[in-house]
Amino acid sequence: MPANDHYVIIGNGPAGNHAASTLRDKDKDAKITIVSDEAIPFYYKPRLTRYILDEIDAKDLMVKQLSSYSDSGIRLRLGQPVDRIDPDSKTVFLHHKEEIHYTKLIIATGSRARVLPTMRSYSDCLKFISSYDQVMEYKDDIKQAKRFFIFGGDLVAFTFVRLLSKMNKQVSLLIYPNAFWPFNLNEEMEAAIAQSLKGLSVDLLVKDDIKAIAESGNGYRVRTTKGKELNVDMVFSFNGLIPSVEFARGCGLDIDHGILVSETMQTNIPDIYACGSCAQIYNPDINTYTTSIGWPNAVAQGEVAAMNLLGDHKVIESAGRKYFDLEGVKVKTTWWEDIEERA
Amino acid sequence: MKDINIVIEICGSAGEGTISAGEILSRFMSSQGYEIMSFDSYPAEIRGFGKCVAHTRISSSVINSPGKLADVLIALNDGHSISQLSALKKGGILIYDSQPAKPHEEDKSVLGWADPSVVSYGVPLAMLAQKAAGNLRGRNMVALGAIAALFDLDREGFTDSIKARYAKKKQIVIDSNVNSFLEGFDWTKDHIEKKDTFTFDGVSLEPRGEKLIINGNQLVAQAALDADLKFYAGYPITPATKIMEILSKELPGYGGTLLQTEDEISAIGAVVGAGYGGIRAMTATSGPGFALMTEFTGLSVMAEVPAVIVDSQRGGPSTGIPTKTEQSDFNAALYSGTGDCPRVVLAPTDTASCYDATVLGLYLAEKYQTLVVILLDFFLSNSIRNIDTPKKPGPQMLNANVNPTEEDLKDYKRYKFTDDGISPRAIPGTPGGISFYTGLEHDERGRPDYSDKGHLAMSEKRYRKHASVLKEAPAPVISDFDGDRADIGVISWGSSAGAAHEAVATAKKEGINAASFSSVMLYPFPDEALIEFAGRCDNILIPELNFQGQFADYAQGVIKREVTRLNFITGRPMAAEDILDKMREM
Ligand SMILES: Cc1cc2nc3c(=O)[nH]c(=O)nc-3n(C[C@H](O)[C@H](O)[C@H](O)COP(=O)(O)OP(=O)(O)OC[C@H]3O[C@@H](n4cnc5c(N)ncnc54)[C@H](O)[C@@H]3O)c2cc1C
Repeated sequence: MPANDHYVIIGNGPAGNHAASTLRDKDKDAKITIVSDEAIPFYYKPRLTRYILDEIDAKDLMVKQLSSYSDSGIRLRLGQPVDRIDPDSKTVFLHHKEEIHYTKLIIATGSRARVLPTMRSYSDCLKFISSYDQVMEYKDDIKQAKRFFIFGGDLVAFTFVRLLSKMNKQVSLLIYPNAFWPFNLNEEMEAAIAQSLKGLSVDLLVKDDIKAIAESGNGYRVRTTKGKELNVDMVFSFNGLIPSVEFARGCGLDIDHGILVSETMQTNIPDIYACGSCAQIYNPDINTYTTSIGWPNAVAQGEVAAMNLLGDHKVIESAGRKYFDLEGVKVKTTWWEDIEERA
Repeated sequence: MKDINIVIEICGSAGEGTISAGEILSRFMSSQGYEIMSFDSYPAEIRGFGKCVAHTRISSSVINSPGKLADVLIALNDGHSISQLSALKKGGILIYDSQPAKPHEEDKSVLGWADPSVVSYGVPLAMLAQKAAGNLRGRNMVALGAIAALFDLDREGFTDSIKARYAKKKQIVIDSNVNSFLEGFDWTKDHIEKKDTFTFDGVSLEPRGEKLIINGNQLVAQAALDADLKFYAGYPITPATKIMEILSKELPGYGGTLLQTEDEISAIGAVVGAGYGGIRAMTATSGPGFALMTEFTGLSVMAEVPAVIVDSQRGGPSTGIPTKTEQSDFNAALYSGTGDCPRVVLAPTDTASCYDATVLGLYLAEKYQTLVVILLDFFLSNSIRNIDTPKKPGPQMLNANVNPTEEDLKDYKRYKFTDDGISPRAIPGTPGGISFYTGLEHDERGRPDYSDKGHLAMSEKRYRKHASVLKEAPAPVISDFDGDRADIGVISWGSSAGAAHEAVATAKKEGINAASFSSVMLYPFPDEALIEFAGRCDNILIPELNFQGQFADYAQGVIKREVTRLNFITGRPMAAEDILDKMREM
């Protein structure tokens, strides 16, 4: 009797989980494994900021009960980073030196915080909020700290700023309108944002830039091009997310920022699919590949990748358009969703 | 004060230093004032590469059972540790080799099978051992270093325990072990971000004075020496071998003799022979050896010759499961052999009582001129506790011979009828004390007597000893009752008793009205106390490590009531949690 198929999914976010549950729905016999480098089970990334404030506890971060995996026969390997893959032998190499074999592979490794090239030399001074582990690392420090410097700006930054303000922290916010993530801000948006931040204990810096960041005492000294000098306890960079695909480079997969996939989430190598925010999807309308953003897209793509892996030929459709409230500005998106409304 | 109660398991392959790592951990924790109970399991093969597990429970308060599931699993060997994961608590801690010398095939790494709730720490055990000592042998010490660093144990104090463990070895052995430990400690402090909350930091324990770190077999041997044993004959068998091993070294120094015989039949033959000659003698064995001895056990009882057999029980019947613990020789110990054959059976209930039971056993055998069986089991034989040094037996325990008076010797009757069943015994060579010893039924002078009256009278005499023995027996241990009655009474014996008392104490805290009863004396059993106890309990639970409920059958016969049984034969000792779970169901 031939051995059952083994579908391996790398990544335990919304894309990976929805791929797994779709596979299980359609194929009751296959062996299904989710591998994740994070030790924590599937959680709501969008709730991380509220978790810092203790508005919610760890239990509210969780999307699924652990038992639901064993109940549906999905093997969950947590805390096991993938170091590389070898498509020829269909092997995934785990960091602890275990080799696992797949018949088909879905890569759903998501994204991590983007560091602007100009800021790389200061990366030791910077903090990010893009994973549970990071949050756990600074949760207590954030509570202790009084003065914050936040720069860049992305959709998450504002939630964080509001939160700090609620905690009566002193916040300096430097926005890069031309490098806002994932879209540039126009003047109207910028003004609206400035307006909405009024009344909060936020010092908004515009049309300025960072000249240098240096450690100073227990904190940091930030100097701006306009000559401002700020002594702060923590510096946070919010410059959006970039695909986590380093482990896949050099194995023969076509990769730009993210792993390049067709509209069916298929990569250039047979039996390997990619979905969610690690993927860059071909858009025939503009004849180029665009990175994927946000929770609802990850969910939809995970499902499509799984269906196609099983032999279907589904083309990814954008999730329904929604209005997203960005500091009073209504941003119409297909990709970002208010997780709080959904949960 | 912060309460510590943690079970750490180290799992590896024979030869990987699993057991010695466990031993060092126990020693160190004991030196810090903790109560420890540790238990190793290893392959049945005498030399093999099977799975070894060193299980250590560490507590800041008194403990009586080994703990069922581990809080921490240290995997020295991935292959073996995979099956050990089932003994790790949900949300427990796993320490594994993150950079093993060779890659793992699919599904052959322990991390791969860890429950998603487990907190795992990868430490490059092989790599660090190689760095510290130039070979992989020190992986066990690297792992101890990791534990010490993760749980905030004293780096220098721990190093001293390692040095003490290897004190008799060459300096290079000491150095490589210490260096491997330090490498593991420092690497962990520098590289591991702690994700669990367990720590020994902030615990201040009263110094408890010098403790003996010892197992049941060692205590049996020590007790035998202290109780003036002069002759031991035996044939090695797991799990009793250690007793003979120790005595072979020590007994000659105490003026005694040890004889390794060709099998267990001759061993007990020699012991009965020595007993006949009037010197304290014993043997130790396990189920298969005990089975061979049964013919002579009958002779000891019939001819009224003192003999002591320590039976350390293992999985049975027959050769059974040599390295797994069981309490399934209860019936054999009480009823082995033919005929109506009253002997004395004692079963220590914890490590410390192995000492007392041995002293008492030698005493009773001598005084009552009969067979005494001391039932240990694999767990009691091998589990290590830190205990106070036992009190040496007083002179009254060292010579229990009931000698004939001059009057008796005028017309000496070796098997004279007496109220307590004890006939004064003339040791061979005593002038006027010529006696006949025989396995045949006999009259008071020892001459064969097959008459119905004679057989009845002699049987009564032999059984009369039981009533007298009971008067000298240690009283059963009975917990306090909350009020007059208990909903559940737990009755236990042998190595399950500690777990039973602990379970009852915890159950009471949970609001379950429970009481517990255990007895070291198994035969004759303190039936009256049992009936009284059972009469105050609405339900009776009897936990024991055998399939059929051998003691439960006995108890039912005495109290004339159905009892609830808790039996398992997985090779694992009884844990308080097992009994508690059953109590919650009742
Ligand atoms: C702070 C924050 C707030 C957000 N708020 C919102 C919001 O309000 N609305 C919204 O729609 N979106 C929001 N997002 C974005 C959203 O969370 C992501 O778009 C979504 O999680 C992407 O899903 P994914 O499955 O593709 O990847 P992820 O959720 O990133 O999951 C990828 C998983 O793969 C693992 N992984 C990566 N590399 C490896 C490797 N080599 N080996 C093994 N495992 C690996 C990762 O650790 C991770 O567990 C927010 C993101 C952040 C960081």
